[in-house]
Amino acid sequence: MSAEEGGKQDRWGVAHIYASFNNTILTVTDLTGAETIVKSSGGTVVKQNRDEASPYAAMQMAEVVAEEIKAAGIEGVHVRVRGPGGNQQKNPGPGAQATIRALARAGIEIGRIEDVTPIPHDGTRAPKNKGF
Amino acid sequence: MRVALTGTPGTGKTTVADRLDATVVHLNDVVRERGLTERTDEERGTLVVDVDAVADYLDEELGAEAGPVVVESHLAHLFDADQVVVLRCHPAELVERLRTREDAASHDPPKTPEMVSRSAEENAEAEALDVVLAEAVEQHGADAVYEVDTTGRDPDAVAADVRAVLAGDREPSAGTVDFTEWLL
Ligand SMILES: Nc1ncnc2c1ncn2[C@@H]1O[C@H](COP(=O)(O)OP(=O)(O)O)[C@@H](O)[C@H]1O
Ligand SMILES: [Mg+2]
Repeated sequence: MSAEEGGKQDRWGVAHIYASFNNTILTVTDLTGAETIVKSSGGTVVKQNRDEASPYAAMQMAEVVAEEIKAAGIEGVHVRVRGPGGNQQKNPGPGAQATIRALARAGIEIGRIEDVTPIPHDGTRAPKNKGF
Repeated sequence: MRVALTGTPGTGKTTVADRLDATVVHLNDVVRERGLTERTDEERGTLVVDVDAVADYLDEELGAEAGPVVVESHLAHLFDADQVVVLRCHPAELVERLRTREDAASHDPPKTPEMVSRSAEENAEAEALDVVLAEAVEQHGADAVYEVDTTGRDPDAVAADVRAVLAGDREPSAGTVDFTEWLL
């Protein structure tokens, strides 16, 4: 079967980025989210614990992941970012932007980018832009 | 001196605050009683606080307070503070604590068990992602932040750690507690 015959379903996935204060985790699933194609974290590419959340670690980790998902036939990903640094350039969660850029540079097409950062809440919660 | 005692819901802030020898403001109660909210988040069944109104309340109410004041809430780090204590709890234990607590609590309007469960899951994910810690560091700088891990610990032991912070006997710490492995 040629590449053209496979549906878009097979060639696209979802990149779930978890950018915490301590680390950056990247999981790529199929479009339904049911099947995990690859999982990795900043901790796999750096020796020092304190470097796990760095943009550098995120970039290196994402480069490896990009090759793995390309080998699995994935050409593009929609992105779901979870992390306090999801839409900010500076600390914390600095790994999110670096991850997306590295995937794009490796030739992975980037589709929709959604911020799905969880909100701590009980009877009350903060507004989304907390006045920072 | 004003101390923010913050952390994801379920980390034990209210439990610990009752063991401290300081004036305590239970901020969630204040917000609800005074209606310092701007709207309802229907999806989560929760009220969205009016940050400016709460900041004004704290300034008026605590301006003249002489001794140390502990402001206790998962929102406390959003406001002025000299020190910020961030309580932490492993996400797996946090889910258990929240389910147990919510079983006992009644909600107005009532929450379905499914909503309680979804809330616990979202709070657990927020805890694994260091959301409160990250916001605290961003707002106050790492030099003002003190992380205290409560996982598997007695509330009295946690309270002793918080008292040590208030007494100036602890160094600031941020990034010493890491639950990200729970996400993998
Ligand atoms: N150190 C602890 N170990 C085990 N359970 C705890 C601890 N601290 C609090 N709890 C329990 O966990 C639940 C949440 O505690 P609570 O003080 O209400 O948290 P918060 O005010 O941070 O939301 C309560 O049922 C409480 O009894
Ligand atoms: Mg409480």
